[in-house]
Amino acid sequence: MTLLNRVREVAVQRRDNRSDWILFGTMLTLSGLGLLMIYSATRSSGTFSMERQMIFVAAGLIIFVLASNIDYREYRSMVPLASGVILALLVAVLFFPAIENVNRWIPLGFFNLQPAEFAKVVVIVALASLLAPRNPARDELGPRSLSWAKIGQAALLVAIPGYLILREPDLGTTLVFGFIFLTMVFVSGATWRQMVTLLTAVVLGSIAVLRLGLLSEYQILRLQALLDQDLDPQGVGYQLIQSKNAIGSGQLFGKGLLEDGTLTAFEYVPEQQTDFIFTAVGEQLGFVGGVLVLAAFAVLVWRLLVIAANARDRFGALIAVGVAAMMMFHVVVNIGMTIGIMPVTGLPLPFLSQGGSFYMSMTLSLGIVNSVWLMRTPVPGENQLT
Amino acid sequence: MRFAVRLSVLGFIFVGLFSVLGLRLWFLQVAEGPAIARATEEQTWIQKSTHALRGDIRDRNGTLLVTSQFVPAVVVDRTFVQPEQREGLVQQLSALLGIDPGELDQMYEDANVNGRFQVKTVEPQAAYLINERLDDLPGVEIVKIPERVYLTGPTLAHVIGHLGLPNAADLEENPDLPPDVRIGKIGVENVYEDYLKGTSGLQEYRVRGGEIIAQRPPVEPESGNSLELTIDLDLQEVVELALEEGIALSNSVKEAGRADGQEFFSETKNAAAVVIDPNTFEVLSISSVPDFDPQQFVTGIDEETFAQLNETRAFNNLAVSGLYPPASTFKAITYTVAEQENLPFPSDIEGVNAADRLIHCDGTLELPNLEDGSPQVKDDWYEPANIGWRDIHGALEQSCNIYFWSVALGTWQNRETVGENIIQDWAKDLGYGSATGIDLTNEVGGVVPTRELFEEWAQYQIDNPDEPPRLDRSRLEAGSPFFGGDLMDFAIGQGSFTATPLQVATSYAILANGGQVMEPRVVSRVVDTEGNLVRSVNSPVLETIPISATVRRSLLTDLGRVVTNGTARAAFEDFGEGLDRVGGKTGTGQAGSNRDDHAWFVGVAPLDDPQYIVAVVIEEGGSGGRIAAPVARHIMQYLMGNEPTPIVEGEDTD
Repeated sequence: MTLLNRVREVAVQRRDNRSDWILFGTMLTLSGLGLLMIYSATRSSGTFSMERQMIFVAAGLIIFVLASNIDYREYRSMVPLASGVILALLVAVLFFPAIENVNRWIPLGFFNLQPAEFAKVVVIVALASLLAPRNPARDELGPRSLSWAKIGQAALLVAIPGYLILREPDLGTTLVFGFIFLTMVFVSGATWRQMVTLLTAVVLGSIAVLRLGLLSEYQILRLQALLDQDLDPQGVGYQLIQSKNAIGSGQLFGKGLLEDGTLTAFEYVPEQQTDFIFTAVGEQLGFVGGVLVLAAFAVLVWRLLVIAANARDRFGALIAVGVAAMMMFHVVVNIGMTIGIMPVTGLPLPFLSQGGSFYMSMTLSLGIVNSVWLMRTPVPGENQLT
Repeated sequence: MRFAVRLSVLGFIFVGLFSVLGLRLWFLQVAEGPAIARATEEQTWIQKSTHALRGDIRDRNGTLLVTSQFVPAVVVDRTFVQPEQREGLVQQLSALLGIDPGELDQMYEDANVNGRFQVKTVEPQAAYLINERLDDLPGVEIVKIPERVYLTGPTLAHVIGHLGLPNAADLEENPDLPPDVRIGKIGVENVYEDYLKGTSGLQEYRVRGGEIIAQRPPVEPESGNSLELTIDLDLQEVVELALEEGIALSNSVKEAGRADGQEFFSETKNAAAVVIDPNTFEVLSISSVPDFDPQQFVTGIDEETFAQLNETRAFNNLAVSGLYPPASTFKAITYTVAEQENLPFPSDIEGVNAADRLIHCDGTLELPNLEDGSPQVKDDWYEPANIGWRDIHGALEQSCNIYFWSVALGTWQNRETVGENIIQDWAKDLGYGSATGIDLTNEVGGVVPTRELFEEWAQYQIDNPDEPPRLDRSRLEAGSPFFGGDLMDFAIGQGSFTATPLQVATSYAILANGGQVMEPRVVSRVVDTEGNLVRSVNSPVLETIPISATVRRSLLTDLGRVVTNGTARAAFEDFGEGLDRVGGKTGTGQAGSNRDDHAWFVGVAPLDDPQYIVAVVIEEGGSGGRIAAPVARHIMQYLMGNEPTPIVEGEDTD
């Protein structure tokens, strides 16, 4: 009985609010498109990859529904526990056998868990908890300032998991943390001066990382490949060339979905169903399809910012902002990589790329934000962007 | 700043980022799209080139020497192998072919993602066995690939040459060369590569999921053109055998000599010979010992065997790349210049009768002071006996060094009027000092010593003191590094003078044909698969050197005297019928300290209308009259229709 009571306490008191159907609908559309694209890129070896992703989509949707129906404010007390678990997993992952030379996965038999994906959600919630005042009296959404001490704590909060993930190595995910941190600190009220100082520190830090050789050889090679795309035509350079060829040859309207004779059909783009899934969109659906996908992501990010603006407290608002930053960074870096304006960092495209941990962590984060929407102020309008 | 304002700022930044992505997408797909689409369309077609059959090589009588045939080969096409099938395929195939699985896996790795690679050629039975099991072996094909067949083995190996995979330099020169195609490395296989290789065919298809889904009409390969050599295979076999016997003769003479307490430095191993038609400059035979079997390069030659053969100079065609002092064979040229140009005789020297152009051949020539450090007494090391007063005819017959030294000395003393380089210029006109331009690989030119060349060398030596010196140090300190003694040594084919056996043969050919200079040739015609003429490789007369009929006739007569009365008399004793119709000149070349002399003989036949020039050199073989002349005699017997008699020791002459 106590458990049932607890469930009742945690469950969202719906009042008159309804879920953000635009958010949900966009997510569902992108997921469906993702399945289609994964099939198109792997169809020569059957439907296995698509079927596997369908399981993850189903699990991800359940996670979304569950997360939507839990009052997000409950997470605040769970931050220490969740942080502990995720740090333990991030350490543990380094001791599991490497897959393709990187220690990113914990094999669970039926699927490989990628703790770094869930770490993004935990870090967003933890940052929101740190940056939002605990005293409800001070928790109004007006202007406020942020102390350097607070910023330092926040930096430490992202640096620890960020460093562990860099060790895997997974430079892309570490960079996501950096972007989430900067965005959330900015929205939390950092002054221009603080932002400039932080950005300078990030630039100097990046130079230091390059100079001190903290990056592995292949990461440097990928950065060089971006600058000189004829470099390493067998490896990363080849991937980039094929990626741009696939997207470019799609032209305005694309070659047609599941059309024969495409680079997608011939599997010319390495890792197409995961990191390079956007090439399948660009080649088969053309510029029009690519822009529609960009628009869908824009809608998603727009809804996240609207939810932030309508949140009942700063904690909820910061969660929505953090998730928006995460989505944005993934979209820009991933699509930018496929069209040759970003380095190859191995960041997947939300809802489209194949991958279980990543898909479920994305739906989890949107579920939490949907909970923020459901719990928003009963009298909307005051702080709305819309 | 209010929270909502900060959110708006964020929103604007995000809109900006989306715009960048959209603009770049427009640029890539709409602005550049059509061009990219055209380029990528071709990329989805897999191109497979099919090798053409290389052309045949025949001798002058139409005897087939080299041909090509299709043999079955096991090829793996990675396009049709799914990644999970790789390991099983490597295991099965390596077991079937009896090769190391690790090696096969490496070959697989080295081929590109959609690449093809040839594992090995197989016997027809093995091909049949594998063919039966193709269903279990994804990506494996049995294809027919052309393979070279050398029907004569090592015979004529240096002319034919061999094939090999292109090296870095070949690929740089010809970037379109497929790296797995074998190309001619030396010999006519190399020189006539463009005619022999034919045109590769092309197959283009599209593959998806291991299945061919579309094909373009294939382009069939075109076989290469065939060569007809000027070489006579029967003669070539006689010559090659004769050289081997000459080497054996030289070694047995050395062994007997050592038993008598004589000193010899080396074992005789190398020899070369050229037979050329002086009227057309067609090479009838060209040989170098030792040789190699070009067939060894077809299946692939192991490094150890290659190194061993290379060590013995088996790949060097010494007839065009071996440099030797032409020695007394050059006296025929000095003879011609002296007669044709009426070279002055030296004055005020004992033993010289300038008026009657007679020299007292008593083994010693006492010189006046040449004021350049040359030895004041020159001893004829080979003809120390006193053979009395000699005119030029008798001097050539007995190869009298004193006589030809005197001719050079007279030239030196009168260099202001006749020109110091008159003999060298003749030598150069006759082809010494530069490659003849024969259609073979690695030909060298040799050295004709002149004052200009020595001065060049001296300057180089002063500028590059660390490199091995070419001239003696004392010469650098003299006023000029070229002395009168150098001209005298040159006139008897010694000193710094070097030439290839081919150059010696062609110089005699020019003397014999009355002065016509041509480029020697080993290929006469290129014909296509139907036998139609593609190219006729005839040699035009490049230049005619004025040699009077009297001088030419007198030289030929005196060359005849060499074999009947002179230095080659003993070697030609059992020539048989027609001895009076052949002639030649012996030569014994000083090779330097601690090396045995090179044995030379250059033959001309028939003297009344020369059809053959035969040049033979046995490297460090000893005396020309003793070792080389019997070899040449044996070959000339064959050429003149006599039954060749055994190669036995001749007389020890210069």
